[in-house]
Amino acid sequence: MINSNNTNALGIIFPNTYDELVSELTGERLMASIPFAGRYRIIDFVLSSMVNCGIDNITVLVRENYFSLLDHLGSGREWDLTRKNGGLNIFPPFAQKNMGVYNGKVGMLASILGFLKSQKEKYVIMSDANIAFNFDFKALLDAHIASEADITVAYTKEELPESIMNSDDLNKGMYYTLDLEEDRIKKIHINSQESGVQNFSMNIYVFGREYLIKMINDAYMGGSVYFERDILIPHLDDIKVNGYEYKEYTARIGSLKGYFDENMRLLDNKNLEALFGKNPIYTKIRDDNPTRYLNGSCAKNVMVADGCVIEGEIENCILFRGVKIGKGAKVKNSILMQDTVIEEGAVAEYIITDKKAKITKDKELRGTDTFPVFVAKKQMV
Amino acid sequence: MGKEMIAMLLAGGQGSRLYALTQKLAKPAVPFGGKYRIIDFPLSNCVNSGIDTVGILTQYQPLILNEYIGNGQPWDLDRLYGGVHVLPPYQQASGSDWYKGTANAIYQNISFIDRYDPEYVIILSGDQICKQDYSDFLRFHKEKDAEFSVAVMEVPWEEASRFGLMVADDNDRITEFQEKPKEPKSNLASMGIYIFNWDILRKYLMEDEEDTTSENDFGNNIIPNLLKDGRRMYAYHFNGYWKDVGTISSLWEANMEVLDPEHSGINLFDEAWKIYSRNSGMTGHKINAGAQVENSMITDGCNVSGNVKHSILFAGVKVEEGAEVEDAVVMGNSIIKAGAKVKHCIIAENVIIGQNATVGQMPEGDETGVATVGPGVYVGDNATIGPNAMVSDNVKDGDKQ
Repeated sequence: MINSNNTNALGIIFPNTYDELVSELTGERLMASIPFAGRYRIIDFVLSSMVNCGIDNITVLVRENYFSLLDHLGSGREWDLTRKNGGLNIFPPFAQKNMGVYNGKVGMLASILGFLKSQKEKYVIMSDANIAFNFDFKALLDAHIASEADITVAYTKEELPESIMNSDDLNKGMYYTLDLEEDRIKKIHINSQESGVQNFSMNIYVFGREYLIKMINDAYMGGSVYFERDILIPHLDDIKVNGYEYKEYTARIGSLKGYFDENMRLLDNKNLEALFGKNPIYTKIRDDNPTRYLNGSCAKNVMVADGCVIEGEIENCILFRGVKIGKGAKVKNSILMQDTVIEEGAVAEYIITDKKAKITKDKELRGTDTFPVFVAKKQMV
Repeated sequence: MGKEMIAMLLAGGQGSRLYALTQKLAKPAVPFGGKYRIIDFPLSNCVNSGIDTVGILTQYQPLILNEYIGNGQPWDLDRLYGGVHVLPPYQQASGSDWYKGTANAIYQNISFIDRYDPEYVIILSGDQICKQDYSDFLRFHKEKDAEFSVAVMEVPWEEASRFGLMVADDNDRITEFQEKPKEPKSNLASMGIYIFNWDILRKYLMEDEEDTTSENDFGNNIIPNLLKDGRRMYAYHFNGYWKDVGTISSLWEANMEVLDPEHSGINLFDEAWKIYSRNSGMTGHKINAGAQVENSMITDGCNVSGNVKHSILFAGVKVEEGAEVEDAVVMGNSIIKAGAKVKHCIIAENVIIGQNATVGQMPEGDETGVATVGPGVYVGDNATIGPNAMVSDNVKDGDKQ
């Protein structure tokens, strides 16, 4: 079979990982469907990256709160994943007899072992959906194959965000840092408190499909729950786990403040180009009309999606689709999600509004750069 | 099961009066209103009216149009039974022929229409900007027990002689048809949108084809023949926004009217009647710190650092620092470089306007021409393009046209 633009790997995405880090935004959705960068949802980045390098068999393992994600993904057409063979598969939790809804990745993967066995792709690329990137998975796969490692883990070199380090809440998602010798991972730390630049795991893994099936089968029988804690960490000596440093642009969502900062960072054209310039990022189409700027409006350093009507002033803002800014309203340093309405004369600074929020006439609402005010979905101020 | 009504969209016109814009592009594929192409309007009207089967008759430069339509998914016209079909002329056992006229184009596709066994067929034209509910038109057609209905607009009497006119009685029954008459007896202009009972249309198409003297045209042959035979023909009054965008100035004007929906009546911000299009897939647009944007429409992928006033920017347009764009229509992926002045003009897709170049000028006195730069043209630094110019080849640095 001709394999010209088909990468010999299938993708598995965990959309619920780290839901709890941004509880404000995940009340009615999950990490993967958090709106980002004006017209996207976080999952668009990993999905589009996979599709752009020829992966056309992608499984999304949803656990909870997934209505918004199902609505967003539909049949996968926008990502060109409506395929007869492969395409987009969404597996909701499937509680079997004598078995509760699974917790960690091991249980989730165990629940689709039958599916994995029946696939044809030689490799599996597994990822969470909490990072925006334009990832060349083909390069990662090639590196994995060349290194003859059993497992390859993608990581970035960066300082850990304070928000996750300072968390005392043990229920908040575990994060992993890596000690490397050359490319080989010698040690994996869970929730490291060390300062300075670390090898910060992106939780993106590559392995052979057969290898994964065997590993999960054994681990699940042995009662393992978490992939990293129960499979990787105890076996670093006997299996070859390699690191792959990812040096391109990333935007990791780890807290509401982080969410705010990562959006704002895209107002710099250099960053915008770094994230979007390489390959297209696809998303659900809403068929909005172009955005309209009326007389008397003023826009400075903003990124605006389609369907907005701007009559007031906006500065250093990100506007999602369908936002309305009334006459005389002034909005600065803010993120306004889909269909937010800022009525006439209202003033807002450092705010994040969720979908369909409304700031009524002449109201004033101010957060600060370290603590943006959050207005929840459909709320009216 | 037969369909109640299917649509046949005439999209073969060369659009020769759009010159540079249609050299490599069928007229219905000409970009309009920031993110649309002209054909999005009739297609969206069909879907919004409940018509799920559309035949598009193409002939002239169909490549971009074909690719744009694809499987019809953006308009929700990818259907198991029906959907959108592009119908170019094809070779038949008895030989092959270009579409000789509008009626002949339908005649050559009788077997396509027969497959859906429709009661009614609506004939649409692919070069008009119009939001119209065809289901209301069909309701009228049925109420009048008509065999043929035509959508008409009331036009000012002094302009009436530019149009094909329908003379109708108090009951809207058509008694006479005048094609661009010197002395108009009516001010009801045909919009070129017809509903036929399929059995009637089929019969007249067959007869028309037999007639070797016929031009095979709806206006010149089919409609006069129906009248001659005393068929039940009615005029349906339409009073929404309608514009034939067959010339550069009318295309420019219609774009400008999109900027003023409160007065012009063409509202693209209509949740109940969305106009669908194939999307660019680009990120939200960016207005940079030094930019000034006033009374304009801007869409995905644009990056604006200069001044944009009363203009429409299509997807992916870049306006660099110090550039001035006013009363202009700038189509997809064009770049206006630093210091360039782009005024009262249409810039087609993938154009580069060099640094400090000037294209067009604001109207002064009698000079109200709209300058036009064709697709893919490079206009050199410091070049000047006059207000009436039509440019389809590259312009060297410093040149004047």
